Parts: sequence; structure tokens; C-alpha cells
Amino acid sequence: MIQLTNVSKIYSNGARALVDVNLKIGKGNFVFLVGPSGAGKSTLIKLLYREEIPTRGQVQINSRNLVRMKEREVPYLRRSIGVIFQDFKLLPNKTVFENVAFALEVIGVPKREVRNRTMATIDLVGLKAKEKAYPHELSGGEQQRVCVARAIINNPALLVADEPTGNLDPETAWDIMDLLYEINKRGTTVVMATHARAIVNKMQKRVIAIENGRVARDEEQGGYGYDV
Amino acid sequence: MFNSSGYIFRETFNSMRRNPWLSLASVITVMVSLVILGYSIFFLANAANMAKSFESELEIGAFVQMSYTPEEVQDLKSQIEQMPGVESVSLVTKEQALEDFGKTIGGTQSSIVSDVGGTNPFPDKLTVKATDPQNVKDLARSLETNPGLYKIRYGQEFVDQLLKFTQWLRWIGFGVVAAFGAAAVVLISINVKINVFSRRREIQIMKLVGASNGFIRWPFLIEGLALGLVGGTLAAIIVGVGYNWITVYVQSTLTFLPVVQNEVLFRQVSVGLLLAGMAMGAIGSVFSLQKFLRA
Repeated sequence: MIQLTNVSKIYSNGARALVDVNLKIGKGNFVFLVGPSGAGKSTLIKLLYREEIPTRGQVQINSRNLVRMKEREVPYLRRSIGVIFQDFKLLPNKTVFENVAFALEVIGVPKREVRNRTMATIDLVGLKAKEKAYPHELSGGEQQRVCVARAIINNPALLVADEPTGNLDPETAWDIMDLLYEINKRGTTVVMATHARAIVNKMQKRVIAIENGRVARDEEQGGYGYDV
Repeated sequence: MFNSSGYIFRETFNSMRRNPWLSLASVITVMVSLVILGYSIFFLANAANMAKSFESELEIGAFVQMSYTPEEVQDLKSQIEQMPGVESVSLVTKEQALEDFGKTIGGTQSSIVSDVGGTNPFPDKLTVKATDPQNVKDLARSLETNPGLYKIRYGQEFVDQLLKFTQWLRWIGFGVVAAFGAAAVVLISINVKINVFSRRREIQIMKLVGASNGFIRWPFLIEGLALGLVGGTLAAIIVGVGYNWITVYVQSTLTFLPVVQNEVLFRQVSVGLLLAGMAMGAIGSVFSLQKFLRA
């Protein structure tokens, strides 16, 4: 489903974020990206939803070439990819319902359908009672659930997450992981960059370690593997 | 796209409410530039109209040399009457001229004559009427060669001066309108840019969930269009009401001046000002959106 071929990314300031990376991630996989801060995890994640374009090499998702893709095709790619962030990126002046519905409204989904699908998705992430609350009235875990709901409402084939549990306490982090696990079981490919050692070790999923912009380790059912 | 029209108009309204002063400044600059444009158009239309009505004047005015005796003047008159293309010649003698002048200022003939040094200052004047407006210029030329006449006045001469003047006015008007128009475009683009900035978080999320660039641009484009349209509407009202007022004033005081009162021109100018306002708005928005939506 995802294929990176000889991918290098050098930023305009000369920083070499990724060097000659080759990767294949199959449909329905659950993959952890681990490695020290600044190793290139976030850059790799950004390549997947075409926030960045590699300096060299090719990125393909579902046989669509993200490098050769025209600018106006990008929105349609994004509709098939959900993205979750460490800082949630919710709109503070919109309610839970409005934040989730926003993802459908802006791609022109009819109003009635927006309402039904939004309610169903909010229910799925367990926030039915908080539908009318504003982000500042929610706990961190609840805010991340809203973010997850917004990311999955379009039934994306791929869900990418950049340290989704980074701002959460361990218990809440596990709630989010259960949610991602559920989503993965329903057939969505999940790629998650993380520093959460306990989670990676317990989940026993594929682990790809990035160091200095290169793939240092790639194990099925791996562990976190760093001592600090 | 129709499902989203509610969203788009809500956003447009919100952004105008967010910085009302800048919106007001944008609207006023659009308005000022278009008011100037509108009045320039009406002025030029009137000048052209005036030129046309003077062009079709058949009369040529000519002064007779002061040294001529009344008999010589009569001879000259009948001589001109014989010229081809002349329909009639009428004479206003220096005595009649003095009398007319006396009536207008309310003095007696003798008092005026003594006031200006003992002699009648007016020359005899011949008014030559041509048979055909086409002949007026040739006729005036040949009258100019007559040694008994000086200061030949006819419509075309005035028209030439008027055209020279309107040419200047055209350039000045164009320059002023262009300067204000550019200022209006810049202000609108700043306006839109500020709104893009204050909504950058929302835009980031929109792009993330796959909103098309067109969808993201619409509210900003409509904002620019709305600002331009409001400015254009105000300009059309000011130009229309103002011109009406000027027309009434001119017709009651300077009755000899022909004033253009053309319903079609009126409508064309109004619609033109509205469209020009919207164009300014659209250009302003596009300027500020180009850079930011690329990445």
C-alpha cells in the first residue's frame, strides 16, 4: 500500500532529514516509527500525507505517485488519509460536533449526511455525551478523541499519527491506543510515530526505527529497543 | 459547491466584522476612485456633446476694421452676401453694440463713451450664416483673407480648443483613477491577507482534511468582491445623484449649455462602476491568495 523508494529529504537549510530510505507497508498493517528526536520520523510522516515532497526518490500510496502528483490532486489524496497530531489541532471556537463535521463540510458533503456521519463517528470514539462541548472544556484524552474522529470520518485507507499520545498521561494514552487498534482492525492501515516505549513493547506490532535519517531496524512484532 | 454556500457567506461576513476599519478604508478608496472615474466619463461625454453642437453651428462672427466708414461697412456686407455658400449676413453696428452693452450694465451711451475715453470702443460686427455646416470652415478661411475683417470666430475653432482640453483631461483623469484604483487594490489585498492570517489554523485543517484550494479561496475572493461591490455601489449612487443635481443647476443658470441627459449612458456608467468595483476586489483578493495557497 505504501512504498518509499530511495527517498531522501534535504531541507532548504541543508538539514538531511532522510537519506535513501526504502520501505514497504502493506494494507491493514499497524506500524510504529521509533527513534530519537530529530531522526526523521516526522519528516517521514509528512511525506505520507504530502505535506512535504522528497528531494530524491519516489513515494507511492495505493499506487498513486505523490511526487509526480499535481497540486490540485492533493486534496483528493488527503481525503483518503487521516492525520492525528500531538497537539490535536482543534478549532477552539467550534464544538466537538462542529470540529468533526468540519472535515465533511469543507469537502462539500450534503448537510443531512454530515449530521448522520458526524454523530456516528463521535459515538464511535466514545464522546456522544460531549457533543456540544468546546475543546477547552475537554481533557487531553478527550481532545485527542475528537482529533481521531475528525481523522477517520472519511473512512480513510491510511491513518498517520505523529506522537498522538505525546501530551497524554499513560492511562489516557492507552485509551487512544485501544481506539487506534479498533480502527486498524476495521481495515485501516495505521502508521504511528512515537516515543512511548511501553506502548510499543506491549502492542507487539511492526517497528521501524529511524536514526540519522536512515532505517536502522525493521522488525515484525518488535519492541521499542532504546534504553532511555 | 452549493452545499457550502452557507459556510462561505458566513465566513465572508465574519471576516468583515473582524476588521471593520480596514474594510471601511478599502470601500472608501474603491468609492473615491470610481467617483472620479464616473464624473470624468460624464464630463467627457458633455464635452463631446458640446463640441458636436458647436460643430454644427452655421454662424461665423467677424469684426470690421475700426477705420471703416458706415458706407464701407455696407459695401463689405453686400460683397460678402455675394460669396458662394453664404445664406445671409446680418450687421450689428458699433452703435447698436454700445446700446446693447449699455442696457446690460444699466448706463447711458454717452456716460459709457466718456468713461472709456470719448470714443465708442465697439467694432461693427458681421454675422455670416452659411448654407451648409460643411462650408463653415472654408468660408471662415476666405473671410480671414479679407482685409476689412479681423477676429473671425466660428464653432470649429472653439471645438479644436475644447478637444485639446478634453485630451488633457482624459490623461489626468486616467492617472488619478489609476492611482486610486491601485490604492484600492492594495488595501483590499491587505484586508484579505489579514483575514487569511487570522484564519490560518482553520485553513491548515481544511487543507489537511482535503478541502480543495478553490473551496478555501472562495470566502476570501467573495470578501474582496463584496468590498469592491459596496464601494462601486456607493460610487454609482454618488455619481448619479450628484450628476442629476449638477444638471438641474446648470440648466437653470447656464441655459445655453447643452447638458447630456442620456438614460442609456446613465445605466451603462452605473453598471460599469459596479463591475469595476468588483474587478478591483477580485484582483486584490487574488493578489493576496496567490502566495499562500501554493504550499
